[in-house]
Amino acid sequence: MALSWYPEGFDPLDLRQAVEKALELGASYAEARLHIKFGEGLSLLNDNVIGGGPRFSGGVAVRVIVDGSLGFASTSSWDKGSVLDAVERAVKSARSLARLSGKVTMSEERLGRASYEVKVRVKPWDTSFEDKVNFLLEVSKSLEPGKASLDSKLIAYRDDTEYKYLVTSDGGEVESLVPRVEVFYNMAASYEGSRANKWGEVGGSGGFELLDELGLKGRLEEDLQSLEVALTRGEKPPKGVMDVVISPEIVGLALHESIGHPSEADRVLGREAAQAGRSYREYIGGRIGSEVVTVIDDPTVPGSSGFYLYDDEAVPARPRILIDKGLLAELLHNRETAAVMGVRSNAAARASSFRGEPIVRMATTYMAPGDYTFDELVEGIQEGVYLKNYMEWNIDEWRLTARYVGLEAYLIKGGKVERPVRNVVLQIPTQDFYSRIDAVAKDLRFYPGLCGKGEPMQPLPVWMGGPHVRLRGVRVG
Amino acid sequence: MRDPLGEAERLLERLSKKFDEAAVKVSIVDSVMVKASRGSVSVVQSWRDEDADVYIAKGGRIYVASTQLPSVERVIKAAETIVERLQPSKLYAPLPEPSGESCMKVDPQLEKSVEERDYAKLAALLGVDSGLDVSGMTMIYIVREALATSKGARLSRTVSGFEGYVRVFKEREVSGQWSWASTSLDEGLAKTAFEKAEGIAGECVSLPREPLGEGSYRLLFSPMTASQLLEYVASSALAGSVITGSSFLAGSKPGDAVASEALTIVSTPRDQDLPGYATFDDEGVAARDIAFIDGGVFKTLLHNTKTAKVLGGESTGNGGWIFPRLFNLEVKPGDLSEDEVFEALGSGVYITNNWYTRFQNFLEGTFSTVPRDAAFTVKGGRPVACVPGFKIRVEGSLKTMIKGVEALTRERYRIKWWEVETPTKSPYMIVSENGGLRVRRA
Repeated sequence: MALSWYPEGFDPLDLRQAVEKALELGASYAEARLHIKFGEGLSLLNDNVIGGGPRFSGGVAVRVIVDGSLGFASTSSWDKGSVLDAVERAVKSARSLARLSGKVTMSEERLGRASYEVKVRVKPWDTSFEDKVNFLLEVSKSLEPGKASLDSKLIAYRDDTEYKYLVTSDGGEVESLVPRVEVFYNMAASYEGSRANKWGEVGGSGGFELLDELGLKGRLEEDLQSLEVALTRGEKPPKGVMDVVISPEIVGLALHESIGHPSEADRVLGREAAQAGRSYREYIGGRIGSEVVTVIDDPTVPGSSGFYLYDDEAVPARPRILIDKGLLAELLHNRETAAVMGVRSNAAARASSFRGEPIVRMATTYMAPGDYTFDELVEGIQEGVYLKNYMEWNIDEWRLTARYVGLEAYLIKGGKVERPVRNVVLQIPTQDFYSRIDAVAKDLRFYPGLCGKGEPMQPLPVWMGGPHVRLRGVRVG
Repeated sequence: MRDPLGEAERLLERLSKKFDEAAVKVSIVDSVMVKASRGSVSVVQSWRDEDADVYIAKGGRIYVASTQLPSVERVIKAAETIVERLQPSKLYAPLPEPSGESCMKVDPQLEKSVEERDYAKLAALLGVDSGLDVSGMTMIYIVREALATSKGARLSRTVSGFEGYVRVFKEREVSGQWSWASTSLDEGLAKTAFEKAEGIAGECVSLPREPLGEGSYRLLFSPMTASQLLEYVASSALAGSVITGSSFLAGSKPGDAVASEALTIVSTPRDQDLPGYATFDDEGVAARDIAFIDGGVFKTLLHNTKTAKVLGGESTGNGGWIFPRLFNLEVKPGDLSEDEVFEALGSGVYITNNWYTRFQNFLEGTFSTVPRDAAFTVKGGRPVACVPGFKIRVEGSLKTMIKGVEALTRERYRIKWWEVETPTKSPYMIVSENGGLRVRRA
């Protein structure tokens, strides 16, 4: 391995010995993963640094299969004794419930033996805390409200560099280093007794330079402007059947929720039935959208929050086509689900920390761009609405019907974007949403998010995105 | 095994030499979890966590760091350089004199099960071998934590926990779900949860499946749903939510009638039944039970010393080093018996479980939530039809919803699961049309 970011007191041989020990104890498969995350965070409230400091999370995860039963154990120490203790716990736990388990196996794969790192221009760990504070203060102070009063602005920064060293009993050995930088914000504004919020996130994998490259300042200004428009000029939302243009921010969210999650094979098999729920892909196949809809989930998008080249089972990453010209295509697999369905894993196994088992996750989910401009989408609409961003959203556990409520939105009349409206509700069945898309723009844009899944909850950074799209004849309100 | 208090004191001693103020929290947690899906065990997990959190203040600058105990030297080393580069925080208030006391609530039987890693018992409690289509999770754990502050707090908390949830499917679209949480290995809680989940699914199977019309209804929320929605009300009572523009209670003053007289919500760190049991907060202040909404009247925000200084008032023992937090919650019981809830509802809709509550506007409390598992149409005081929860949505505003709380049951359940993070004792809750909630078809 080339990176050798090993923490003091860690010997990579210990992981190999841990895997061997698991096999000696009767495991048919074993993996051990040193998983470290380190970084700094700081929070600004109304231009004041209310607090900040570092985080360091690290430990070793061990996962084994014994008699078809899956066992997992972790330890926040990486000395040999603690790691071997975790091996014994994992084996014991798996063996004890083999009678009641679902006979787990791992799909046969060509596993990676590799090391890689995301190269950055400005290393977060070499950037002084002072520079981080100053940069964020400058951004925060530059926000100038219009007529609406900006009552509160919270800006929370964090960088998180993730180092993993994984060894599997069937030959996988992967070491990786992925730094990430992200900012979460929430602004509250008011105007003539009316109040509203807008939250958002900016981030990706890379160095501190990302905040400039991804346009943090511009995003905050844009969202402050949204509050201004909604509060000072937003009229009552329209109701009825009409054409709708949806922004990349909402398209990305819709894909994540109504295509990405239901395409997770573990969900299709019911493994998340008591948590995140089930999937329409248990019983719906074939066409779900119009021919202009192609959806991809791709861990290899450079700079993305969900970037990786090998998953946490050492399987090489590649783009996954979830919808191909309107037809449901691949599911997202780890080696467990791939074995059940008799296919190959497409490298979707990820764990959020050393405390988590690798489960099926999205990376960057997006819609392939078309060839329309935004103006061309609008030109084709006599009466409709444009949803520029959202606050409220949710979806049922089968992922059959989603709801998005726009904050900044505009009426469209006679092919032109007209006056603003506020709190436009689009509640729409998944199949309707994708079937009614008749035009896709070329302006692909990505947004970061924190995806939640698993028990215990494993929050993971992802990207989601798309271009503007046009939907024909949908119910609004 | 390391001694959390010894570790906290050792680290504090080093920090106190260099900084005006410091606090160290060390927690050592042993936990065991069985997760099941569709009638079989999907994974058996165990953790040994040794976490350390560090708080330092110097010249009003606030430094907080979290890590694992074996790595704590890193964050201590970083402190000297980082703390100088922070700004004096407008939230800063000196650490308070300690007023809390140590506590211990450990069920020996539970402790033994954690030590022996009794996975078979956990699987049995989930009903994995019942032959039913069961999914869920059950977990037991021992939390040993300690707090040492430069103001002299030397406090320990040792608490055992038993929690889980079970979901039973009778048909593809027909399910019931229930959860439990306790400091004792009270197997009856899991048994009740299983019976409730199976009962809800079974009731749905026995009734005609009929879609719901859209509109305002009288709504009956199970303890699962009531606790999910009222946890958002409690979060809005945290002073940090007010300061960051995320609370619909911002602007409410003590004495304001914000809810119906039937509703009393209490922050209950002292409740020894629930796994959030604590007698001190992260600042060493005595944790106390506080009815922040009492008989519909808003009494107080929940504070740590920092938010109390900024907004006026005093700490309620809910710290949090930066912002206050919740430990446990309790919704005070009403007069109804559980057997009478349908009769009291008369006509309306019974929502047994929900998830994905999201807000359009935190400041106004406007939201929608998605029911899951079976929901029921109730007419003439009895359920007459079932609709799978995912086929409807409930939308409205927390602000008006709590004004429409009409009745609550005497019986309460201890709820904590994926969608309810704070252990909560909750009754069934009836919300009248005055609550302004609407049911929409999905």
